[in-house]
Amino acid sequence: MAEAAAPLLDVRDLKTHFKTEGGLFRAVDGISFQVHRGRTLGIVGESGCGKSVTSLSIMGLVPQPPGIRAGGEILFEGEDLLKKRPAELRRIRGGEISMIFQEPMTSLNPVFTVGDQITEAITAHLPLGAAAARERAIAMLRRVRIPSPERRIDDYPHQMSGGMRQRVMIAMALACEPKLLIADEPTTALDVTIQAQILDLMRTLRDETGTSIILITHDLGVIAELADEVVVMYAGKIVESASVKALFADPQHPYTIGLMGSIPKLDEQRTRLASIEGTVPPPFALPEGCRFNPRCPFADDRCRREQPPLRTLRDGHAVACWKAPLEEAA
Amino acid sequence: MASDPITAPAYTGKDPSRPILKVEGLVKHFPVTSGIIMSKQVGAVKAVDDISFELRRGETLALVGESGCGKSTTGRLVLRLLERTAGRVEVDGEDIFGLDRQALRRKRRDMQIIFQDPYASLNPRMTVGDVLAEPLRVHRVASGAAIQARVEELLGVVGLAPYHAQRYPHEFSGGQRQRIGIARALAVNPKLIVCDEPVSALDVSIQAQVVNLLQDLQAKYGLSYLFIAHDLAVVKHISDRVAVMYLGKIVELADKGTLYANPRHPYTQALLSAIPVADPEVPHGRGIIQGDVPSPLNPPPGCRFHTRCPHARERCKIEEPAFREFAPGHQLACHFAEEIAIPDTVRARQATQISDAYRRRLAAYESQQQRRRTAAEETTA
Ligand SMILES: Nc1ncnc2c1ncn2[C@@H]1O[C@H](COP(=O)(O)OP(=O)(O)OP(=O)(O)O)[C@@H](O)[C@H]1O
Ligand SMILES: Nc1ncnc2c1ncn2[C@@H]1O[C@H](COP(=O)(O)OP(=O)(O)O)[C@@H](O)[C@H]1O
Ligand code: SF4
Ligand code: SF4
Ligand SMILES: [Mg+2]
Ligand SMILES: [Mg+2]
Repeated sequence: MAEAAAPLLDVRDLKTHFKTEGGLFRAVDGISFQVHRGRTLGIVGESGCGKSVTSLSIMGLVPQPPGIRAGGEILFEGEDLLKKRPAELRRIRGGEISMIFQEPMTSLNPVFTVGDQITEAITAHLPLGAAAARERAIAMLRRVRIPSPERRIDDYPHQMSGGMRQRVMIAMALACEPKLLIADEPTTALDVTIQAQILDLMRTLRDETGTSIILITHDLGVIAELADEVVVMYAGKIVESASVKALFADPQHPYTIGLMGSIPKLDEQRTRLASIEGTVPPPFALPEGCRFNPRCPFADDRCRREQPPLRTLRDGHAVACWKAPLEEAA
Repeated sequence: MASDPITAPAYTGKDPSRPILKVEGLVKHFPVTSGIIMSKQVGAVKAVDDISFELRRGETLALVGESGCGKSTTGRLVLRLLERTAGRVEVDGEDIFGLDRQALRRKRRDMQIIFQDPYASLNPRMTVGDVLAEPLRVHRVASGAAIQARVEELLGVVGLAPYHAQRYPHEFSGGQRQRIGIARALAVNPKLIVCDEPVSALDVSIQAQVVNLLQDLQAKYGLSYLFIAHDLAVVKHISDRVAVMYLGKIVELADKGTLYANPRHPYTQALLSAIPVADPEVPHGRGIIQGDVPSPLNPPPGCRFHTRCPHARERCKIEEPAFREFAPGHQLACHFAEEIAIPDTVRARQATQISDAYRRRLAAYESQQQRRRTAAEETTA
C-alpha cells in the first residue's frame, strides 16, 4: 500500500542475532517493513520465527549480550532508534512507543497495585502531578471498560482475571497516547469471548486515537480481524507481505498457503487438514537456500541452493519464493 | 475436495445401543478452607455440578467452554483420576466408582488420557522408550523382548522413528512430545481416550499434524474420544457431537451439524459469534457478551449465565433452567430457547469467502505434498 506520507516507522534490513555457545542465532535476519500512521501492521508466523525479537528490537529491549545488533535501521519519524542513547530510548519507550505483552501477569508487577503501575507510567512521560495522574489512570481504566474503575484501581494484579489484566496492560500502554503500540500476542492467553472483547477494544481505541499498531500473532484469524497490512515471517525472514485483503484473496508463498490450510474452516468440512510437515528450523541450523525448503512440497535444487529474494509482484504485495504463483509450478 | 482413504470409513464399530461412556448426575465440589492450623471449610468450588451425557463407541464428543468451566475436572472424573462428590460414571457398562483398587487398575487399560502440556506430562529423566514401556509393564501387556517390539510399533504408529526410543523428552519439539503422549496412551490398547486440550499448546501447522493423526488412529483402532478443547473451529473439524459447558453445567449438547447451524442457547451463540475467522471481509464488531465468567465459588442464582446473557429476564435470576430435550438429540438449559433467534453474527462467521486463487494453490500444495510422500515411501520401501 504505497502512501504518499512518510511512514511512522520504517524498518530497513534489520538484523538481530544472538551469540551463544551453540553458535550464531540469526533470529531476525534482514527484514524490512513500514508502519503508516493510523494503520495496523500484522506480523504472523509460527513460534520461534522471530516475531518477538523483532518487537524487542524496535523497543530497544533485546538483552545484549547475547543479542547483537547485526545491521539495519529502525527509523521512527525519520530518526534511527538504533542510534539513540539509552536515556533517549527510555523516554520514547512507554511514551511515544509502548508495548503489550502476551502474558500480562509477567509484565505487571505483582507487589504494586495496578493504579500505582499506571500512574508511574503516566508521570514518567507526562508533566502531571500525583492526583492528576491518578485521575487519568481511572479514566484509562474506564476507557478499557474495567467496571467500577475507582475501586479496581487499588487492586493488585492477582485480584483480577486474565482478561482484566490484559485490559489494564492496554490502559497502561495507551495512557501516554503513544504514536505506536506494539502488541505481542495480546490475546493468545485468553478465552475466545474475552479475546473478542479485547480485539473490539483495540479496534475502537485505534479508531478513536489514530494510534498505529504492530500486532504480532500466530493466529491468522486475529490478523483478519484487526490488521490492514500483513507480514508473514518464517525463520527470521519475511516470506510474504501484502494488504490483509490481498493476502487472503491471493496468498502466494507455500508457507502462507500451508498456514491457511492448517486452520480448520468453520464453513467447510474437510476430511483432513492440510499441514506443513516438520517444524521451524532452529536459527543456528538454518538450511541453505530458501529457509522453507525442507518443509516445502515444491522445493527443487535451485531452492536448496539459492535464497529467493523478496520480490514485488504488484503494488504492495511481495513474496520470497522462486515458484510463485504456485499453480504454474505444480 | 480430496477425501482421504484412511479417514473415510471412520466410526465403523459404532454401536449406539451401548455407549462406551455414560455419565449421570456427576458432581464435583472442591472444598475451600480458611485458616492454617484449625482449617475449616468455608465454601466449595462447584467445578462440575450435575452433568449427564453419553459417549458412543467410535465417536468423538467435544467438551467446550471458557477457562475454569470444569472441562478438565470432568475429564479426570471420567477416568476416576479424581473422586466424585456425587453421580455415576459407567465405562463400557461398568460403574468405575464401584471398583476396588485392583479392578480400577485393570480398568485403566480401557481408558487413557492425553494432556494439553506435552512438556509437563512426560518425566524428563526417562527415555521415550522407558516412557512407552512403563504402561506395558504395569498392565502386563507385554514382557521381555516383546516390549521393545511394541515400543517400536507404537513409535511408528504416531509417526516417530525407532531410534527415538533412546532420546529424552527435552530433545523433542512440542508436536513430537504430543505424539509421544499419544503413543503412551495407545500402549495399552484403550477403548476410550480423554483428550484434554491436546493441541491447544501447539502452533497451527503442528496442530493440524496432530489432529490428522488423532483422526487416523480413531479410524484404525475404533477409539472413542472425549475431546476437551476451547477452539471451536478445531472442535467442528474433529467431533461428532458437542457439549458446551458454562460454570460447571452443560448448557447445550447436540450433534455438530445442529450445534453450529442451529445453536439455541445464548451462551453457545456468544461463543460462535466470538470466533476470529481468517477472512477480512467478515464484518467485525459483533454482539459479543460483556464481562468475565463469575466465580464458581459463588455462581449466580437461577440461570448461571444470566449475569452475561443478553436475553435474561426476571425468571432467569430466580429459577434455574432444566437441562431438557429441545429437539430429538438436541438438549439445552434455557427457559426461552424457543423464542431466541440465532444472531446474524453466528451465520456470518460460517460463511467466509475462500478465494479461487487460494483454493487452486492449496490444491497444488496438497497434490505436490502427496506426490512427494509417495515418492519417499517408494525409496524407503
Ligand atoms: N484441586 C482443586 N481444588 C480446588 N479447585 C479446583 C481444583 N481443580 C480445579 N478447581 C477449580 O474447578 C474449576 C474447574 O476447573 P477445570 O480445571 O476443570 O476447568 P477447565 O474447564 O478445564 O479450564 P481450562 O480451560 O482453563 O483448562 C475452576 O474454578 C478451578 O479453579
Ligand atoms: N535472549 C535470547 N538468546 C538466544 N536466543 C534467543 C533469545 N531470544 C530469542 N532467541 C531465539 O530467537 C528465535 C526467535 O524468537 P522469537 O522472536 O521469540 O520467536 P516468536 O516468533 O515466537 O516470537 C528463537 O529461536 C529464539 O530461541
Ligand atoms: S523458493 Fe522453493 S523452497 Fe522456497 S518456498 Fe518457494 S518453492 Fe518452496
Ligand atoms: S435461561 Fe435466561 S439467562 Fe439463562 S440463557 Fe436462557 S435467557 Fe439467558
Ligand atoms: Mg513470541
Ligand atoms: Mg483444563
